[in-house]
Amino acid sequence: MSVQITPLPAPAAPAGQSMFKSWKFWSVMAVLAGLVALFSYGFTKDPKLVPSPLVGLAAPPFSVDQINGTGHADLASLKGTPFILNFWASWCMACQDEAAILEAAHRQYELNGHQIRVIGVAIQDTPDKALGFAKHFGKTYFLGLDDAQGDISLSYGLYGVPETFFVDGNGRIAFKQIGPVTKDVIDEQVAKLTATTKAGS
Amino acid sequence: MSVSLGAVGRRCAHRSPALVAAIATLVLFYTSLPVLALSPEAVEQRVQTITDALRCPTCQAISVKDSEAGFSVEIRDKVKRMVEEGQTDDQIKSYFVSRYGEWILRYPSPKGVGLIVWVLPIAALVGAGAAIGWMIVRRGKKAHSGSDRTSAVQPLTPEQRERVTAALKTYEEED
Repeated sequence: MSVQITPLPAPAAPAGQSMFKSWKFWSVMAVLAGLVALFSYGFTKDPKLVPSPLVGLAAPPFSVDQINGTGHADLASLKGTPFILNFWASWCMACQDEAAILEAAHRQYELNGHQIRVIGVAIQDTPDKALGFAKHFGKTYFLGLDDAQGDISLSYGLYGVPETFFVDGNGRIAFKQIGPVTKDVIDEQVAKLTATTKAGS
Repeated sequence: MSVSLGAVGRRCAHRSPALVAAIATLVLFYTSLPVLALSPEAVEQRVQTITDALRCPTCQAISVKDSEAGFSVEIRDKVKRMVEEGQTDDQIKSYFVSRYGEWILRYPSPKGVGLIVWVLPIAALVGAGAAIGWMIVRRGKKAHSGSDRTSAVQPLTPEQRERVTAALKTYEEED
């Protein structure tokens, strides 16, 4: 039993290499490459490090009493003196790391050098706990406490502690450190602050 | 209220009706201000709406409204005070943008880079729709002209039909 079946001409199948000539293939590849580039850029950035819009602008006004009741600090009276404004809390682990560094900066640049002021503001804290922390970690510089509404914290756009603002003699925020400060950061920023203050005066 | 309004009205009535109307409007406006002031429920409603649009600074992934983090509680209180002071939603939001940057907004404003997230989905939808439409039109045309061999529905030529019938007949005989 044999029936002659002539095969129909096969539909023109795409040749093996033509995939690399197809504009569809390359446009899909281009989109994929774009996504990979976008993600690989995104993963290099720490989402916690959000640049503050306040850097370069005038420091928001604040007024704070020393927790131990021996002094007062506010933006207006600091005019002409660069200062380090460090936000911290007794419940903050990273603040323990930088306590000694800030204290050293206070001794070197404030007590001896008279170049800058160091001001610590405890946030979401109680006077007792803040003072206990200060005693335990040997902080002797000016330590204030933000009010219960967190007015200073919010006006400085804080989203965690520690955060440290370096304010020049003209009351302008020159730099913001997110997370604990290091001696290198302080040395570099204080040199810049004293230079701009001299140039400005 | 009605007593003072009446007194003003009587005193001024013989002078100028327009003046009376103006003073009455002013008095009504100012006396009605406390009525216009927001009720606690209305304040709460606005605080909810605004804080839903703000990102929790600590937790980052959720809104200030849904967060119990210290900063979120403080921001909610601050927003409430600002609402009670009579600030508009935009004023309140721009205060927080000035402190935290555009980052604080859960729905970026359609400006600059933020424009991308608003335009891209719409552009993608329109583009995909256009592409699908184009493909349908093209496929319809090809099927109609019969030039597309890969098209599913193609009438057989009489010659092809004959061969298929012959082949089928062969298999039936084999069974």
